[in-house]
Amino acid sequence: MVTAPYTREIDNTQDDPRVRAPLVTGDNDFGSVTNKVCSIVEDPRIHRAWLIMLAISVSFLGILGAMISYLVWEGVGVWGVNNPVGWGFAIINFVFWVGIGHAGTLISAILYLFRQKWRTSINRSAEAMTIFAVMCAGIFPGIHVGRPWLAFYLFPYPNFMGMWPNFRSPLLWDVFAVGTYATVSVLFWYVGMIPDLATLRDRAKNKYRRIAYGVLSMGWRGSHRHWHRHEVAYLILAALATPLVLSVHSVVSFDFAVAQLPGWHTTIFPPYFVAGAIFGGFAMVLTLLIPVRHFLGLKEIVTLRHIENMNKVLLFTSCIVGYAYSVEFFTAWYSADRFEMFTFLNRMFGPYQWAYCVMVFCNVIAPQLLWSKKNRTNLYVTMFVAMCVNVGMWFERFVIVVTSLSRDFLPSSWGMYYPTLIDILTLMGSFGLFFTCFLLFLRFLPAIAMAEVKTVMPQAHLDRGHHRGAGDYHGDIPGAHKVEVKAEV
Amino acid sequence: MSLHDPAQLMDERRRLEGLGLSVTRYGGAIGLIGLVLACLMGFIQENGMDRFFFVYLTNFIFFLSISLGALCFTGIQHVTRAGWSIVVRRLMELLAANVVLMAILFIPIIFGLHSLYHWTHAEAVAHDPILQHKAPYLNTAFFLFRAVIFFAVWIGLALFFLRKSTEQDESGDYKISIRLEKVSSWGLFLYAMTTTYASFDWLMSLDPHWYSTIYGVYFFAGSAVALFATLSALCIGLQKSGRLTRAITTEHYHDLGKFLFAFTIFWAYIAFSQYMLYWYANKPETTGWILRRQTAPMLWVSLSLIFCHFFLPFFGLLSRHIKRNKSLLFFWAIWMLVMHWVDIYWLVMPEYVHQYGEIGAAPFGLMDIFCLIGFGGLYAAGFAMWARGRSLIPMKDPRLAESLTFENA
Repeated sequence: MVTAPYTREIDNTQDDPRVRAPLVTGDNDFGSVTNKVCSIVEDPRIHRAWLIMLAISVSFLGILGAMISYLVWEGVGVWGVNNPVGWGFAIINFVFWVGIGHAGTLISAILYLFRQKWRTSINRSAEAMTIFAVMCAGIFPGIHVGRPWLAFYLFPYPNFMGMWPNFRSPLLWDVFAVGTYATVSVLFWYVGMIPDLATLRDRAKNKYRRIAYGVLSMGWRGSHRHWHRHEVAYLILAALATPLVLSVHSVVSFDFAVAQLPGWHTTIFPPYFVAGAIFGGFAMVLTLLIPVRHFLGLKEIVTLRHIENMNKVLLFTSCIVGYAYSVEFFTAWYSADRFEMFTFLNRMFGPYQWAYCVMVFCNVIAPQLLWSKKNRTNLYVTMFVAMCVNVGMWFERFVIVVTSLSRDFLPSSWGMYYPTLIDILTLMGSFGLFFTCFLLFLRFLPAIAMAEVKTVMPQAHLDRGHHRGAGDYHGDIPGAHKVEVKAEV
Repeated sequence: MSLHDPAQLMDERRRLEGLGLSVTRYGGAIGLIGLVLACLMGFIQENGMDRFFFVYLTNFIFFLSISLGALCFTGIQHVTRAGWSIVVRRLMELLAANVVLMAILFIPIIFGLHSLYHWTHAEAVAHDPILQHKAPYLNTAFFLFRAVIFFAVWIGLALFFLRKSTEQDESGDYKISIRLEKVSSWGLFLYAMTTTYASFDWLMSLDPHWYSTIYGVYFFAGSAVALFATLSALCIGLQKSGRLTRAITTEHYHDLGKFLFAFTIFWAYIAFSQYMLYWYANKPETTGWILRRQTAPMLWVSLSLIFCHFFLPFFGLLSRHIKRNKSLLFFWAIWMLVMHWVDIYWLVMPEYVHQYGEIGAAPFGLMDIFCLIGFGGLYAAGFAMWARGRSLIPMKDPRLAESLTFENA
């Protein structure tokens, strides 16, 4: 892996509305972008930092394997779940990881439909993150069913026992929602990657690489017809993935919201879960991309402007999450339902107060730092907020799942939930799986959508006559390059 | 034929001119007559004033939601630095400025509080522990205080957007765009909070026992539908009258159509979320509100929402060709406006039936039509008054060129 010289940070975050800012900085052309992205995959040397990180990740992956084996051998009794809290870490982790995935789909599908050109630099890695996060998520319900070797009963298939899953159960809806989501995400990721895989194939120096990337690129020749089909397919997949961004986490929220349990049964759950998922997902994208752009020398492609834009999304979704918290709280009082009121006061002042405080601080208070542009363009502040949100969104699910279950209608049936070491190690192990996959992705697949990035560079529009003035950065337009880097506001 | 250079806009008819004056005059006159007739019908019928206030509230919320949708999306255009929408943004700003008119039209509701809101009846509160619990929030003084806050926020933002944008028409100062962007960011936050609680106050508290946390989002989804339907129809109408004929192109209609389509789906998603969760849990304190809407006389209204507010327009607006065809887009825009009115009717009128115990057909008659015409006339007149002396396009917006030449790739 290449030891790229760390490119310096170029500030392209100017607000001047007269000209669109460049999305690729530095002195780059199509060739240099291809070289920068491909060299990460092509360099025969193995970067020591990458190897160390992979070793750590694989160790954690091993822990995950060991924990799951132990669980399957012993049964779910090794977890902390019991009456009354029958849903513990497994469901929390499931919701957490599914949520992470949503940012990738939002970036690749919704921002595509909104013509947000900056998405091109980050969509590939964000989509990869989506797929790995969904993989992590899929593990938890699978191992929670008690007899995981019978987990395939979740799928409705004709069988001689005449046994069908319960179609009225939201957990079954999850199987369909997450299954569809995983399928479309993989398709979208792969279809978008084909032209870049072909680039890697064409540049391959040895037979094995040529065959591997050749098979993966499915005979891509870059003809007009190929491009046309590719773009039509991409648009259709984006349109299909867009409702999925909303539907998947809405269905996940139904797991809770269809119940009559106070704190779970509230109608704002579907959009609130979706916003929270995007929130948590963007925090994870930032957590991944800030080191990646630094270590892989991609600062000119994943620029400061991309970081700032993602921070704005983070702030926006933080406000939505805060809005949902406040509306829930108000309505708990307004409902005049004593169980509702108790549940929310119990969250705030009960035995899980500490978890509630972590959640509010991380999800609502810390992101307020991002109102200031200075903070949005400061990588340390960004990293701090992103880390807060990673923690906070996990605790949000903890608060929802555990506080409502531990103290419901009948005080005599109350009980506390304590995770066991196995619970904690399984959660840590899932991070091992996630980072192992992501590190391998960085090493073997094009981490930046080269073909898409090139379309937002000024060189892509030179032959479009009078149309070239609108909506893109053009180094060739008189005056455009003269805008001071730090426009006075 | 689109334009490539803002200078070419000089040949366009960019103002309402004489049309504005006649709309103000006739719209205002028709509007006043409509409202007076509706009110008179209320006077002469037995208990007609109760009915009148419910009808009035329905139409008030319908037109308010258009302005609130416009206010929100004006802010969103600024904060996202949108380029495509510049040519239609002034129209949104003008629609948003009509919240001033809506504030004036709110005054009659103050006189109808007793007819509309059960929680204003002291004797009812005295026998109802739930209403006693809610009294710190649901009391007339605080209710009116909140209404003042809501209108202050909306009017402040709407007039700021309109004034600054018009100022830029003269000066062409690009820093105004930056200022608008900054104000929009926290402005949208205020908008979200005020709109949510306004919908709680004015609509949800019609049944003071019932509650739903998603209600504010539901109202927002409806107002977005209302805005994009109004805006599409308005652009087509203006072009018919020979204005902005070249500035607004098929590409802009395509985008407006996409938004109309998207929010039609979003509305259905939010409506489904609310309905399904209450239906599934089946708790008596939350299903009563739904039950009133899925039994006679409101059953058909509910069904019409499912089919005509979602399924038909979903297939109707799906195709790219329809969104790019002015006549078809106009048809669906009007269709969605009608259905949005039905949606507001569905929120308001079942509570009238519930409180005043009318059985039989769903209450709809001449009074509703007069009231709708009344509000429509005044709303159009208000729009024309705001448009007076203003260009219908932000002439010197720094991103105008981008909007004029943009294409759906």
